[in-house]
Amino acid sequence: MTEVAALAGTISRRPRLPRPLIVGAVIVLVLLVAAALAQVLAPYPFDQMHIRDRFSPPSLHYLAGTDEYGRDVFSRLLIGSQLSLLMGVSATLISMGLGVPLGLLAGYRRGLTDEVIMRALDVLLAFPPIMLVLLIIAVTPPSLLKTAFAIGVLSAPPIGRVTRSVTLNLMSGEFMEAARARGERVWYVLWRELLPNVWPVLMVEASLRVVFAVLLGAVLSFLGFGVQPPAADWGLMISNGRSFVEQAPWISLAPGIAMGITVIGISLLGDGLREVLDPRLGNRR
Amino acid sequence: MNDAVILDPALLEVRDLTVRYAGTAAVREVSFRLRPGEALGIVGESGSGKSSIAGAILDFLGPAASISGQILFEGRDLTQLSRSDHRAVLGRKIGSVFQDPFTALNPALRVGRQIAEPIVRHLGVKPSEAARRAVSLLREMGIHRAEDVARAFPHQLSGGMKQRALIAAALACEPPLLILDEPTTALDVTVEAQILRLLARLRQQKRVSLLFISHNLGVVRRLCDRVAVMYASQFVELGSVRGVLERPSHPYSKGLLASRPPLRAASRGSRLPAIEGQMPGSPRPEAGCVFAPRCPYAEPRCSAGAQALCELGAAGMTTKTAGAHGVAASDHLARCWKADVVGDWPRQGVDAIDQGPFRAGDALVNVTRLRKTFTTRGGLAAWRLSVAGGRPRLRHQPVQVAAVDGVSLSISPGEVLGLVGESGCGKSTLGRLALRLLHQTDGGVEFDGADLSQLSGADLSAFRKQAQIVFQNVGSSLNPRLSVGEAIERPLALFGLAKPRARRQRVEELLDMVRLPPTYRQRYPHQLSGGERQRVAIARALATEPRFVVCDEPVSALDVSVQAAIVNLLADLRDQFGLAYLFISHDLAVVAQLSDRIAVMYHGRICETGTPAELLATPRHPYTRMLLAAVAEDTVADEPPQGEPISGQASGCPFAARCPHRLPTVCETTAPLLRAVGASHEVACHLEPSSATQVDAVLMPSIVT
Amino acid sequence: MASYALRRLGTVLFILVAMSLLVFLATHALPSDTAALILGQYSTPETLAALEHKLGLDLPLPVQYWHWARAMLHGDMGQSLVMERPVAPMLWDAFGRSAILAVAAMAIVATLGVTTGIVAAVWRGRWPDHAVSVFAYLGISVPEFYWGLVLILVFGSTLHLLPTSGIGNLSDGLGSYISFLVLPVATLTLGFLAHVSRLTRSSMAEELDSMYVRVARSRGLPERVVIVRHALRNALVPTITVLAQDFGFLIGGIVAIETVFAYPGLGRLLIFALQRQDLPLMQAAILVLTAVFCLANLCADLLYGVANPRIRHGGAVD
Repeated sequence: MTEVAALAGTISRRPRLPRPLIVGAVIVLVLLVAAALAQVLAPYPFDQMHIRDRFSPPSLHYLAGTDEYGRDVFSRLLIGSQLSLLMGVSATLISMGLGVPLGLLAGYRRGLTDEVIMRALDVLLAFPPIMLVLLIIAVTPPSLLKTAFAIGVLSAPPIGRVTRSVTLNLMSGEFMEAARARGERVWYVLWRELLPNVWPVLMVEASLRVVFAVLLGAVLSFLGFGVQPPAADWGLMISNGRSFVEQAPWISLAPGIAMGITVIGISLLGDGLREVLDPRLGNRR
Repeated sequence: MNDAVILDPALLEVRDLTVRYAGTAAVREVSFRLRPGEALGIVGESGSGKSSIAGAILDFLGPAASISGQILFEGRDLTQLSRSDHRAVLGRKIGSVFQDPFTALNPALRVGRQIAEPIVRHLGVKPSEAARRAVSLLREMGIHRAEDVARAFPHQLSGGMKQRALIAAALACEPPLLILDEPTTALDVTVEAQILRLLARLRQQKRVSLLFISHNLGVVRRLCDRVAVMYASQFVELGSVRGVLERPSHPYSKGLLASRPPLRAASRGSRLPAIEGQMPGSPRPEAGCVFAPRCPYAEPRCSAGAQALCELGAAGMTTKTAGAHGVAASDHLARCWKADVVGDWPRQGVDAIDQGPFRAGDALVNVTRLRKTFTTRGGLAAWRLSVAGGRPRLRHQPVQVAAVDGVSLSISPGEVLGLVGESGCGKSTLGRLALRLLHQTDGGVEFDGADLSQLSGADLSAFRKQAQIVFQNVGSSLNPRLSVGEAIERPLALFGLAKPRARRQRVEELLDMVRLPPTYRQRYPHQLSGGERQRVAIARALATEPRFVVCDEPVSALDVSVQAAIVNLLADLRDQFGLAYLFISHDLAVVAQLSDRIAVMYHGRICETGTPAELLATPRHPYTRMLLAAVAEDTVADEPPQGEPISGQASGCPFAARCPHRLPTVCETTAPLLRAVGASHEVACHLEPSSATQVDAVLMPSIVT
Repeated sequence: MASYALRRLGTVLFILVAMSLLVFLATHALPSDTAALILGQYSTPETLAALEHKLGLDLPLPVQYWHWARAMLHGDMGQSLVMERPVAPMLWDAFGRSAILAVAAMAIVATLGVTTGIVAAVWRGRWPDHAVSVFAYLGISVPEFYWGLVLILVFGSTLHLLPTSGIGNLSDGLGSYISFLVLPVATLTLGFLAHVSRLTRSSMAEELDSMYVRVARSRGLPERVVIVRHALRNALVPTITVLAQDFGFLIGGIVAIETVFAYPGLGRLLIFALQRQDLPLMQAAILVLTAVFCLANLCADLLYGVANPRIRHGGAVD
């Protein structure tokens, strides 16, 4: 009896996880599993054409219908999830690889270093986002990795800014001064004292960046500057289906819905994380 | 109800007020009466629930709070009013002033307009007329350039000025009741004294009743008629200010009063009485006496039944419980069945060993003509556009401010030097310069005979090991991502002070040294209270086995009872390890408790140094006198503090602008040098002749004319 | 305030120069050979060299940049290689048509987004708040061109209510002209509306929780006054910056949406230039779009300065 009461006590004292976090985490988990096992889960190879079943509407046979070549849309969606997640994650990793060190450096060194780094990031931010990507991609033949790189470069300024602002905040923290009073080396301070504190905020920002990369990647594929056919990219699928939107709307609509679920899942996860980490975090900028 | 109540109607009567958040009580069965023109102080430590009382009256607790009981204001129960009816009473009948003047004004509206707003709203006065009244209200608050202040935006005003403006807004409709929630806590002591003086004057002139909420007993003593002591959601004692502060009856009140350091020099062996343990967090036990776990007089019976607020004088059990609704006619109530029999708070270890005064040896730390300037507007922001002679010109104008301006002092091994001053006077910068956390602009710091600025490599590391720092902000002094064990272990690993296997044991020794159990090794900072965090920070500093520790306001963020325990701990460690401290604080009483010598700092310079006894008994510098007058609890200072700390740069005496004894030319043009006036007493003031004979004559106004 | 404005202006000029350099260098790294493109299959090494000399392509890069930038500043954007017409008139026509879309969408986003954000913040945790946040999640979950497709499907293909591609002719009457704008503008609006209303909600909610709002309430001011005069004024300041940033995304959105709705604006012109590797057209289009974005940011910065008394009025009064 007392044990139950004690248990109830600990449960009620532990803050409950916010619902967005749980829903978001479940969606993202399902997506990751689906993408990882896409080749196994897909009922058909993504490029197999069923000439007799062109434009068939969604049915038990073809869960999301078939496209103009009779390819199974659902299988293509599954394979496409790999591309989308790959785009989102690789672009975000690139932006973090660029933004985090720059932000840490700017916040830690301050002064002229800070000024130079932040002005450089400002110039990047002053480009309308899509222009820079278009410029880079127009100059050289398109490839997924290059698109990811371009988007990653574009996302570096916000990551850098967030890292810098958190770092600046931490720098005024007295534990940082205690570290300096011990004569700690720079790398120890950055790695052991700063980074673990920047991490949570970065995770929230990273979720925004993944969403941004997925959406921008889709726009580029849609415009024909991203992944090239016959790849099963969601943006490309929407673009291809555009010509048949009246007779076979599912070709375009299904990838959009898949993308919507992905983006909502990641956004919910990010918002939930924000709520858990610190209710005041939302106002950090 | 007896006749007395009807004959003497209360302006505000709170009956059995209980405020709960998700079932946990923040305020429990609080009852009190406030008569017209009366001032009631509510005193308690942070988390005691005192602000929730104001919140319930002012309706800002939000939907998460459930309120029961009655709040009768002029006979109407505020808890029963609709939101808009309640709002109509606020501002018109009840004015309120809060702790932080820096966030309480809307940054986008001119100050005058914010004062005029309630006048227009409640009194139906035209805006132009209300604006005129706002200016005259500001003038009533003792502001000379009232028109300018009314036209200003909040960011253009200092903290003290903002608080005056907020008081003006609270009094705009001449309400009969003013609720003040820690109105002076965010301000410097001299400014605090000015605001308290203003409130005392307004109370007399306007016959306004005050409900004054504070953690500071001294402040309440100066302003209130009656006082309630609050602990863990309950009133534990209620009575006249004199009665409660001079003859406290509840053990908690006794402990609270005893643990506050007196404003006098203490011997090296003396310790402050402290209250062990800490206030229970939420959820709190609601059966029995809330203070029993920390009470030295507790017996099993105390935890058995709930305690009631009882009249004093009648013996123990036969005491009748107070009034029909817990409101008694008697003057002095305490929530303790033993209140009549408990003695004074135990002064354990106090004056245990008298070691005699400290004898200075060769200096461990030697600071000479130290100077540090900061560029407040530099880089790109320093470019300024000005129109001179009809032509626009772009100029690079960085602004330099001297935070430390030619300071010399020395600290011997084992000595405690107290450094006192108001916020922004440069005392923290001085502390950081002494540890080479900042680089000086000019002058030098020597540690153990070595020039700090010349140290590098192994020598610098050796210095870092010997000189450590303890900070004020208990919230950020520990890295939130490192456990207590990791935090304390780091210096051991860095300086190779213990072999990896022996580290854990050493960490536990260090924890024991600061009186924390070894299990705390695995805790994280957010699981600790403020006092515990400060203990861990001290353990971390001690891990390197230093000889010199800079304590930068180490107890300012702590509650009084916790503060005493930390001060005692610092004194114990000093004796145990022969540590030298540079003890930085704005609180003269705390500094006097621990220091062998005190230096008073104003605007980057030292204006007076001496032993605590010299400084407190015969303060020479007008600024020291002003500081003392501001914190003196019972006497009304004959020398009203003027003005506020300035940030500008002057060539003369930095204090000249605020000094009541300023000499016409010399003070404004020549900076005074420190001169000896006693054995160890030095003053930097033109009024001070180098001999110590004419002390009284110097401060007579006749000299000024 | 004057020096603040001057500093902002300086930053914008710096960014424009940096950007023009970037555009110039990037386009010069293009694999295509301009002279060969112009001469087509009839090129000989001699004619090529002659043309390269005539076009100034044999000069060192900094000189080429100087010539190009000077011409740009004089409004001479060169000759389109594919269409063999001057770029400037073509560009400005398309720019005008895109501006109509952008301005209409921006106006709707600014008014409606801010309003819904405030409503959500004031009724926090109740149904209007939930409705706004559901709408916001939907709005940002897919790229805007997808909403364009959905709208085409619903209002064009299914309901036959509105035209789904091209641009109206003013000679057919204003109503017809506007009918062509409805779907593109609605599509552009959707995503940004969600973003702006979400951010307005959070900044408004923050202000409503602030100490000075609590103090204003404790002075007995009615809730309406507290919301409008106190909280809103401060909440709108960050919204200005957000709107300016979103303007950059709006430009990106226009590129995709003009493609979806076959709307002959600057975005479609840019895509055309990129696909055909039409160097002068590409340079001019990117530079104009970027300059517009910079100007929008400058306006926002200046507005921010005006709305923020800390910048407008500097010094202390005591």
